[in-house]
Amino acid sequence: MTELMQANDESSALEAMHSAGMTDGLPVVIPTPDRVASMVLASGQDADMQLGVMGPAGGGATIEKVAIAAVMAGCLTEHLPVVIAAVQAVLQDEFDLAQMQSTTHCTAPLIIVNGPGRLSCGPIASGFGALGPGHRANASIGRALRLCMINIGGAKAGESDMALLGHPGKFTYCLAEDEEHSPFAPMHQDLGYDIEETVVTVIGAEAPHSVIYSGDADDPQDAAKLLEVLAIGLANMATNNAVLTGGGAVVVLNPEHAKILADAGLDRAAILQRLFELTEYPTERLSYFAAGFASRIKDETYRCFHSPQDILLLMAGGSGLYSMVMPSWCAGAHQNRYVSQRVELDLYCDIPGLGDA
Amino acid sequence: MALVTEDFWPQGNFTADSLGMPLIPRVKLPHPLAGTGQENLHAVAKAIAPLIVEQLKND
Repeated sequence: MTELMQANDESSALEAMHSAGMTDGLPVVIPTPDRVASMVLASGQDADMQLGVMGPAGGGATIEKVAIAAVMAGCLTEHLPVVIAAVQAVLQDEFDLAQMQSTTHCTAPLIIVNGPGRLSCGPIASGFGALGPGHRANASIGRALRLCMINIGGAKAGESDMALLGHPGKFTYCLAEDEEHSPFAPMHQDLGYDIEETVVTVIGAEAPHSVIYSGDADDPQDAAKLLEVLAIGLANMATNNAVLTGGGAVVVLNPEHAKILADAGLDRAAILQRLFELTEYPTERLSYFAAGFASRIKDETYRCFHSPQDILLLMAGGSGLYSMVMPSWCAGAHQNRYVSQRVELDLYCDIPGLGDA
Repeated sequence: MALVTEDFWPQGNFTADSLGMPLIPRVKLPHPLAGTGQENLHAVAKAIAPLIVEQLKND
């Protein structure tokens, strides 16, 4: 069982939790025993079931501790299956969580949700402002993972989390793919999952970088130009992807941009292949900015990605001029791999009256 | 033996404690070190080499 804190009232409890470094700096819902018990009950799993060990502190991520974070983050019980899956995802060895939490880079876990759970566990927004404020599930689920990383993983700024500045996605960073309107197959299907499965895919990522492109249906090079600007955003010389190379990255196409590419006959695989090709640069260019990093490369050109599949591509957001790209850290033992985790919806208990635990 | 710069000393302590090795020998380096030039790097190396040897002897 988790050790209980004592306070005279919720206001005092909140201040005690702030003082103890247990929050993200914003007010939290006080995780009273009743609220936590309700959240654990809804999980359909034992409170002391271990999901794994979370670095760098090496804390045990039990269902109860994850439920505490979910309560603190303001989650509804129906959000919990996605929170648990996100925790399971970052605990996979390939995610290198302890190293990611410790780095000076700004990286934060971006949670991408696919499948029917986008609706039943939320709804998790995938349209206008999906990465901005106002979407409770997106805000709460991402925040719950962050609070796990603080209170179970032990991330404390300047002590164990050495991000020089961090970025706002370290408060919450979660969205769903707009599968209903996308011209492409759902991302999780292309990652090998069944379309009826609900899957979270998590990658440590920089803050989203806006990519502006105004389409022109009369221009035969329309799709090619869009791909070029996406590639520039994805791996320009200011990114770790261009300097360290070999990591993952994310492209979030808005519906207008997705249509331009689909109308040109490109599917996800073809788009990723082209982005992979467009991020091949002269080694001389890297040498100019980062001679030390370039010294390991013997060829005249180098590629920022090991393979097209290192890049995640999804459609989300409102329709307009702007897509988003998220470069990544590219370091750690597995070079910033994305990981996917099936969401176990069958375990969830929908208990009347506990929806607002 | 871990070489840790001043600004990362608290992280070194945190990591050592988390790994159950609070007494692991560490030598403190000035911060920043990267990008300060070959001359400075040689000077720092010369200054800390005896400290490293001393820590290893005591290990």
